[in-house]
This record gives sequence, C-alpha cells and structure tokens, in this order.
Amino acid sequence: MNTVSSLLDDSWRERYRRISSLNIRSSIYDVTNQCNLRCRGCFFYSSKEHEAASEEMDLQKWHEFVGREKERGVNLAILIGGEPTLYLDRVAAFYQTMPTYCATNGQIKVPRDRFPDMMVGISLWGDEEDEKVLRGKNTFAVSSKNYEGDPYTYYLYTITPKQVGRIGEVIRKIDDAGLKVHLQLLTNDEQVDGYSWTEEKMRDVRAEMDEMLEYYPKTVISCKYYHEIITTGKMMGRSFGWNECPSVTESMDKRNPRPKRLIRFIRWASDLKTQHRCCTSATRDCATCKDGAAHMSWVMVNKREHLKSAKDLQNWIEVYEMFAKLYQFIPW
Amino acid sequence: MSAKDKEALIVRIAEIIIFELKLEDITPESFDPDLDLIDELGVDSMDLATVVLVLQDEYGIAIDEDDYPKLSSIRLIAEYIKQKQAA
Repeated sequence: MNTVSSLLDDSWRERYRRISSLNIRSSIYDVTNQCNLRCRGCFFYSSKEHEAASEEMDLQKWHEFVGREKERGVNLAILIGGEPTLYLDRVAAFYQTMPTYCATNGQIKVPRDRFPDMMVGISLWGDEEDEKVLRGKNTFAVSSKNYEGDPYTYYLYTITPKQVGRIGEVIRKIDDAGLKVHLQLLTNDEQVDGYSWTEEKMRDVRAEMDEMLEYYPKTVISCKYYHEIITTGKMMGRSFGWNECPSVTESMDKRNPRPKRLIRFIRWASDLKTQHRCCTSATRDCATCKDGAAHMSWVMVNKREHLKSAKDLQNWIEVYEMFAKLYQFIPW
Repeated sequence: MSAKDKEALIVRIAEIIIFELKLEDITPESFDPDLDLIDELGVDSMDLATVVLVLQDEYGIAIDEDDYPKLSSIRLIAEYIKQKQAA
C-alpha cells in the first residue's frame, strides 16, 4: 500500500505538508444580477440565472448572511455575478469576514485602500478581436490599466478555439502589465458559430498551454496536469461529467453513488436564499463543461486516487498548489 | 478492555477501513495502527464520513463531525470508541 512518505522525497513532502493543512471550504456567491457588459457565451445570462432570484437590497442582511456562512464553515468566498464591483458594499461584507476572491471584468477598479489584499480575478476572453466579437469591446485595454502591477490580481484567460496559435501574444501583454494569468477554456454555452472545440483543437491548445507555462513560468499560474485534465476531460481513466463533478451545491446533490465532492459547497443567488445547482450554468451539458475551477476541484477531492505513484501524487500536489495560489492561500 | 480485546478492535477497524475505502495491498493484520490516515493515506472528510457510518452502526455510538480530527489513526479511533462506549 502506498503512503505519502513512501512516494515523496523530502522536498515534495514539504510541499504536500504545506497544502494538506489548508482545508479550504469554498462557496460561490452571486453578488448581483447586473453587469456592465453582456458577453456572448456568459453562462449567467445564457441560462437566465440573472432572473432566478431578485437581489437582496438590504446591506445589513448581507452582513448577517456572511456571518452565517462563516459559521457554516466556509473559509473562502468566491464572488461572481453579474459584476460584483457594481456593489462594493456587498463585496466588503465578505471581505471583512473571510478570505474573499472577487471575479470581475476589470472595467471598474476595486479600490485598494478599501480592499488592500483581496484577490481579484479579471475575466479575459482572448485578444482584441475575440473580445470585440464576444464581449462587444476590448476589455483588456481598460482592465490592464486599472490593475497594472497589482500583486493581488490575475487574469482568468478563457481561451476560445479561435485563440489557438495566438495565446502567446495575449500572455505577453499580461506579462508586460506585471500581472499573472490562469488559463481555462471556453464552454460554448450559446453555440456561438466557430467557438466550439474539436479534438484537434484540444490537442493543439494543450500543447500551447504547456508551452506558455514553460516560457512564462512566473506569469502563468498553472501546471501541465491541469492542462491534460481540462483538455481531455479525463482523470485517472475517468471522464468528467455530472456523475463526477465536485462543484454541485451540497443541498441539491442527490447523486447515488455520491462522488467525491467539495464539502459544504453551495452556490448562492443574490437574494441570499436561492441556491443554484452548481458552480456554473444549470443548463450546461456537464460532459462538455470546461470550467477550470470545477476541473481543479475534481483533482483536489480525489487525493487518494493519486496515491498510485509518485508522479500521480506530484501531479495532485501541483494542482492543489495552483488552486491555493489563485485564492491566495499560499504566495505566488 | 483486555489487551487482546484492544488488538481485536484495532484489527476490526482496519478491516472496515480497508473494505470501505477499497484499499489495496494491505491486510488488517499488517495495517500500522499508528499510520496517520489523513497525512499518509490521503483520507479526507468524505472518506471518514463513510467509515464513521459503519463504526456508528457497529459500535452503537454517535460520532460528531467535529470529532473527525481526533480520528487520524486506527489506534486513535479505537481509543475514541472505547471512550464513547464507556461514557
């Protein structure tokens, strides 16, 4: 029987020890139903989640809610939207209470005097050309100025099939702005023409992601095993999908047999009562879901599966470290 | 509880863990009772919850989730069960 000690040398064991004590318990919160962009392919709007519940307008109720979430054991609040920066008082309710990550399109700058070390993830859907097609404008021009050199900010670069072969130029610009980048893949929820993945494109994008990691090791926050998982949808011979996804709201998880999952995970709507099925769109075909966090979590919750060999366990450690860096549990 | 009973309890817990977690290449008799299940075997809270359900049924005790950190080795689980049964 393999044990951690039998598989890892001192250096890897120390890395394992550092992350194994983190015990991250995340949940996701829609801060608002409103956004200052309307992006083609945004699951929040394509699946009409912005109409799922009315927003809670009483700020005191946000504070009380966050307190209850902390008592429930949540130690990482992941704020999504709509666009959370439209309601900074609500963001503050989380930030004052627990480690908080704020997803944003970067068009409004989070004031650092108020949120000095809150982790900010800026969505980016490609180069100028793709951004204009999918989001109506070149958001990078604004977001890179707003956050240039910010040590608590990274780009969440959602790579589209049309970006294959052109990823390097986008990453170079991010590097030039003194920011980090994490890579994930577009799930074409709205079936925008030309933005669906093929097996060949997946192979090519994986090779390019690996290449970027080697070329920009301090800028790209990623690892090759994650690239393999997200491009193939396979881990240890299993396929990602509804029966495997770890990011299903706990109270709505009636799967049997129950897969390994995120403990206490809930995705809350902005009325603070309604719960969404999972971390992304409930209308999405889980077999084609490319959500980066869901795939990372899939690896992380399956630790024992990765005790088959030293390489498997090292892969697991690298994915966990990547997640911990992206949510500021360990330094870059 | 005699030393023999304690040993039997440890072996039985090992059996439960091996069966419930589908562990390979290990027998109840060769399972180190002091091996850290969390740090060394990668056992997580879902795994523990699975094992706890069986332990609760078999030994007629209630195990609170807050007590999971105390259940980090087979020997510690055995001691926990003894304490619960004695209470």
